[in-house]
Amino acid sequence: MSNLPEKPNAISNKVIDLLVDDTLRRNGIDPDNIKKKLSDQQKKQLKELVEDLTTQVNKFNNQSSTDK
Amino acid sequence: MSHWKCTHCRYTCEDPPKKCKRCNNHRWEQEEENNSWSFTGNSGDETVFQGGGQFSSVDQESDELIWIKDSCNVTVQSTDTQAAVSLQVGLQLAIALVISIAIGDTVQGQAVSQELFQQFNDEQTNKQKIYVDNSKDVNIVTTDTDLSVNIEAMLQVLVALVAKLDIL
Repeated sequence: MSNLPEKPNAISNKVIDLLVDDTLRRNGIDPDNIKKKLSDQQKKQLKELVEDLTTQVNKFNNQSSTDK
Repeated sequence: MSHWKCTHCRYTCEDPPKKCKRCNNHRWEQEEENNSWSFTGNSGDETVFQGGGQFSSVDQESDELIWIKDSCNVTVQSTDTQAAVSLQVGLQLAIALVISIAIGDTVQGQAVSQELFQQFNDEQTNKQKIYVDNSKDVNIVTTDTDLSVNIEAMLQVLVALVAKLDIL
């Protein structure tokens, strides 16, 4: 009965990994150097930021799927 | 703002004449533009990061028309575009932030941001029309899948980036 557009398949993580890898590589950035540069405090803050955003996105996605 | 569209040749005009000027068809449909983006301050172009003269512009248009006539007990549930847009902006900011902290505000960093955001330079249009007439107990739910996909993809980029830099 419902003719809502199907929820599209998520983009493969591999595509995204490749995109990020390639972008860093092409700009001559070595992730290992950056790992050493970041302080623990910065890492912690960034980690919290990403976790927070992940929760928000999940919440948004669940909200739109339960509405169906 | 509303205007009329010929059902045959899609000719649009503000005030419908009896017959379409272009094809002599006499059937018209009314189209209302509810461009919710303008209310959220995202009227098409969002400048997120500007490095070497390039922008990340995401053109998105969401038109929704729900017409309810002679009906009762109708519930409508529409996507909360405002929440979605702020999420999207939040994600863009976060990606830019991670890059600027990790790589620094250098030419390299700017290039990386630019290249990542370029992947989202797309135009999206979402048009929905729903007409309910002479009905009872109707449930309407609409979703804006374009937005959800974009949000999901950006989160993936952010997570991939952060994982690469060994932060998670």
